[in-house]
Amino acid sequence: MSISRWIDERIDLQQLRADLIDRRVPWGLTWWHTLGSATLTVFMVQVVTGVVMAMYYAPSPDHAYDSIRYIEHSVQSGSLLRGIHHWGASAMVVLVLAHMIRVFSLGSFKYPREMSWLLGVGLLFIVLGFSFTGYLLPWDQKAYWATQVGTNIAGSAPLIGGLMVKLLRGGAQLGAATLTRFFSLHVLLLPLLLIGFALLHISLVIRQGMAPRPLALEEGAPARTNDPAYADYYHERYAKTKAADTRFWPDMIAKDVVVATVIILALFLMAYFVGAGLEPPADPSDTSYVPLPEWYFLPFFQLLKLVPGKFEAVVTVGVPALIVFVLVLLPFFDRRSKRSLFHRPLAAAVLAGTLFGSGLLLYGALRADRENVRLAATTGVPLTSLERAGRALVKSQNCSACHLIGDQKPDSSGDVNKAPSLNEVGFRHTAGWLHSFIESPTRFHPDSKMPSYGLPKLSHMEMEEVARYLSTLRGKHAMSEAPQIVDTFPEPVKKMEH
Amino acid sequence: MASTPADRHDTDADGTSVGRRSFLRWVSGVGAAISGVLVGIPVVRSFVSPVLIKPVATGWIKVADDTALLDVGAPVRVDFVKEQSDAWIESIAQNSVWLYSDDGEKFKAYNPRCTHLGCAYFYDKDTKTFGCPCHRGQFDVKTGAVLGGPPPRPLDELPVEVRDGVVFVQYKEFRLGIPERREA
Repeated sequence: MSISRWIDERIDLQQLRADLIDRRVPWGLTWWHTLGSATLTVFMVQVVTGVVMAMYYAPSPDHAYDSIRYIEHSVQSGSLLRGIHHWGASAMVVLVLAHMIRVFSLGSFKYPREMSWLLGVGLLFIVLGFSFTGYLLPWDQKAYWATQVGTNIAGSAPLIGGLMVKLLRGGAQLGAATLTRFFSLHVLLLPLLLIGFALLHISLVIRQGMAPRPLALEEGAPARTNDPAYADYYHERYAKTKAADTRFWPDMIAKDVVVATVIILALFLMAYFVGAGLEPPADPSDTSYVPLPEWYFLPFFQLLKLVPGKFEAVVTVGVPALIVFVLVLLPFFDRRSKRSLFHRPLAAAVLAGTLFGSGLLLYGALRADRENVRLAATTGVPLTSLERAGRALVKSQNCSACHLIGDQKPDSSGDVNKAPSLNEVGFRHTAGWLHSFIESPTRFHPDSKMPSYGLPKLSHMEMEEVARYLSTLRGKHAMSEAPQIVDTFPEPVKKMEH
Repeated sequence: MASTPADRHDTDADGTSVGRRSFLRWVSGVGAAISGVLVGIPVVRSFVSPVLIKPVATGWIKVADDTALLDVGAPVRVDFVKEQSDAWIESIAQNSVWLYSDDGEKFKAYNPRCTHLGCAYFYDKDTKTFGCPCHRGQFDVKTGAVLGGPPPRPLDELPVEVRDGVVFVQYKEFRLGIPERREA
């Protein structure tokens, strides 16, 4: 123990321990009070997983995707590592928002913690910045197209739009310079900013002490926190909340650790069973991809759909500006000394309205997403002229009398039950196989009830058009997977011996 | 919910708080350990992954189409094209081996790098030895033995197989500058 004594004599560890670890905290801190430390814990998880991932990552369009595949498939525990980082990103956003809601609901942002709140608002946007820049790095379809949309949103700002796009992308187009730029922001600038802000935020918590339960600071309080008498009232009452011998260690830390452990376990399980996913590599020439942002940006994304085009800038610029404006001004605007949400009906209504509205938008976005997938499944990607001709033939030949194709439900005249749905037929069969099948179904299935559409019903050109169209029908697999072809051709028919 | 400063104070002031706090310390320790393991395993494993991954067994590479076209009694350097994967970068690289045969039937193949520090060595027709231009290492063409200079071990022999006059070699890289032959 002489080493610790040697250090103690120089930097007074005992005092540090008393100030940081053994300090008293207000009585009655709830599980909701663990959200801040949970956010910090997940950030540390993001740091260690991120550092190791950066060892295997190449921020360049010709190698980024392959290096991510390398992490997923070749690095030991690599997919687990990436999965934890991926789900940790979601957890960060959820935890920061939950922490803010807790602070808002218990009135903890009020005197004397206005600065903690402002730093916290800064931290919220830093975390969102992490999420936005990190999304691009795998350089898969999702990454590329979501970032196209994200940067274009910035571009829709009046006057400075063009400037913003170039600044974000490192050029007019999304490409190599964007990837290195986002990488630098994600692993250098944002971590530094976050650490700086978090250190200030946490040192304020230590210096001012944790905010007590709201009711402890309401009885007999001056009506407003900017009342000259409020400071004395506050300090006297706050000291009383610490009269009970509740210590940071282990009374609060035990709660913090339990919550952090549950979250980390959840991240681990999500990483293990769901993983981070990786779509096909970014293809800038693909015009059919339907990009979706990360789920916590979906309410905002959905809001964009609800406004007419000419008011778009109102949403793309106005809504984020309004959010910043409200969050920054909140502690200066709401200076009434009532802290409990039960005594702040307006605040309660605003919070409930915001949560309900975001929930509604999120739900709408998720439903619209399913709709998109269904649309893509039935009409497919933009069709070539051959495929369009095939689609017309499928209609004119009334294939949907028996088969389910997209929304065209089979009518009652056909043998509905036996004919297979064609909505995923392109996922299983090539156009070549389909051509042969249409020409002579019984060659493939002797019991098939499907009549031959070979000559003279359809010409070979027409059968080819139909087959090409059908091969575009890939159902819900349309965008995510390569087709799994199971074509089996019958033995060639032998000529009869004379 | 219903606890007040007063009753909270009671439980904390009497002897039971010691038991309660040591339980909380224990909970904190166990939780921290579980979290540490859950995050630590993937982080440490992926960090040390290069040590854990075993090199893929190298296959036989065709280096010469016909033994009849190779010199007998003098070494020949034959070039071949090899698919290389450097982490996530797949590339095709040209590489070479030295082949030597006394009789045109049995062949020896040497890795083309000097065992000293990895320079390419050459066949010196005058002395009928391999000579390395970097530090004047000298090797015997028949056995690969060191004849002079600083190389710490003989040339690295590679497995050779001749099937129907076609020469195959299992190309391998070895650690350089050490007396033992260890695969890199």
